[in-house]
Amino acid sequence: MITIDKMCYHSKLRYENAGEKFAFAVITLLICVMSRSAAVAGIVLAVTGVLTVWKGGIPVARYVRFLTVPLAFLILSTAAIMFNIRRTPLDLFALPIGGWYLTASSHSFFYAVSLVLTALAAVSCLYFLSFTTPMPDILQVLRRLHCPKLMIEMMLLIYRFIFILLDTASAISTSQDCRMGNRDYKTSLKSFGMLGSVLMIRAVSRSGKLYDSMEARCYDGTIRVLSENHPPKKKVIAGIVCFELLLFSFAL
Amino acid sequence: MNDTIIKAENLKFSYDDDNTHSLNGLSLEIKKGQKIAVMGANGSGKSTFFLCCTGILKPQSGKLYFHGRELSYKKKDLLELRSKVGIVFQDPDNQLFCASVYQEISFGPLNLGIEEERVKKEVEDIIQQLEITPFRQKPTHALSGGQKKQVSIADILVMHPEIIILDEPAAALDPRHTVMVNHIVDQMTEEGITVLMATHDVNYAYEWADEVILFENGRVLMQGNPQRVFSDKEVLKRTNLEPPVVLEFFESLCRKGILDESLPVPKNLKTLENYIENISS
Repeated sequence: MITIDKMCYHSKLRYENAGEKFAFAVITLLICVMSRSAAVAGIVLAVTGVLTVWKGGIPVARYVRFLTVPLAFLILSTAAIMFNIRRTPLDLFALPIGGWYLTASSHSFFYAVSLVLTALAAVSCLYFLSFTTPMPDILQVLRRLHCPKLMIEMMLLIYRFIFILLDTASAISTSQDCRMGNRDYKTSLKSFGMLGSVLMIRAVSRSGKLYDSMEARCYDGTIRVLSENHPPKKKVIAGIVCFELLLFSFAL
Repeated sequence: MNDTIIKAENLKFSYDDDNTHSLNGLSLEIKKGQKIAVMGANGSGKSTFFLCCTGILKPQSGKLYFHGRELSYKKKDLLELRSKVGIVFQDPDNQLFCASVYQEISFGPLNLGIEEERVKKEVEDIIQQLEITPFRQKPTHALSGGQKKQVSIADILVMHPEIIILDEPAAALDPRHTVMVNHIVDQMTEEGITVLMATHDVNYAYEWADEVILFENGRVLMQGNPQRVFSDKEVLKRTNLEPPVVLEFFESLCRKGILDESLPVPKNLKTLENYIENISS
């Protein structure tokens, strides 16, 4: 997750208008999920892959590795759809186990394949967005879409403080390592517990201090910030509209 | 006098309402346009006093005056005070709450109700002025300590306060960023902003400040010009401070009879060097 965050700030597509990227990712995702067809999923996978890797400048190996993260999970869950255990064999193949068969039908096989592809394509849409668009830009789009203010403010603060929490946690754990806090299973369990409790205390005191510092800057309950705008390009919008229309008609 | 900007009268503050007071009858006056160094041991009440100055903490007793008017702690009054008194906190991570530098700096002026177009210009100006441009596109969590400090100062400066409080701005900074911060502080003074700075660096305080305030156990031990405060051995000993090198060296040269004791006490190393050059010629 932290890698994705680091990479998106270096993406070549970072300074494109966030609304464009957001619209592209979300609409493609919707079409892809609604159509449930392997062909559409294949096209989406290819297009988002090319855009993220080639246009965005994310290393191929990195991208593929990230795509395989949900793969294991997907294969496990689709296995249940694909294979059956029953007394009569199905058309694709059948392994006899005692008086029963471990068997699959070609229909359920293709269904499982299209399911895996659709899920991967959906993930690739979200990867496209998160590999090219920093969180503050996404929040700005959500703000434009009139998402509840409270939610956006929470997301803004959480995003910032994930990193502070991680920094603090890693500093504490390093200091525990230095004093042999993780020497064996027992000490590491104890150290981990202490890490948790200290983090909790630190988080509470930090949030108090943050509130003070925001109040000192005339904070009145709503977080108002300006965003830098990268104006949308007509060519890009036209491209996105064309692609989505084509994809949509293909899905039908 | 008319040019007193902040006046504290017998402030008492305790974080947990028992007998230990962080501020224990603190009284002082701060004049407009001055450079003031606030010194004292850790836990002597400097940060607590600063938080009182912006109305974040409300003292249990005592009065705080801003421009001669007693602070009422009503919401309108507080906002008015906070728009005039800016505070740069010691740890930038407690201050920066946005992941984007630009958004972070725009927070303050938008709270003041300034229209967006002007805020945009102000933010751009301050980014230029404080040399933030090279890293303005980076997320705040990827900035170095010094860069975070620059942004946290920009946060406050962009609101154009009358008085800026800096809580140990040079803490944990490398020499290059320390120089940079000191330079920014000089710019503030030139613009007529009153600067109140907590620091442990006696040499810097001696050279820079118009006035030094020594804190001890939540009270003002001594307030006066740096020459007077730092010549007082007794007071320095009580606050565990070393005398500034320039002053010590000057006194030692006087004792040896190399320099004339009637010379005015040198304000910085340069003046002392001039004195020494003049005897050899």
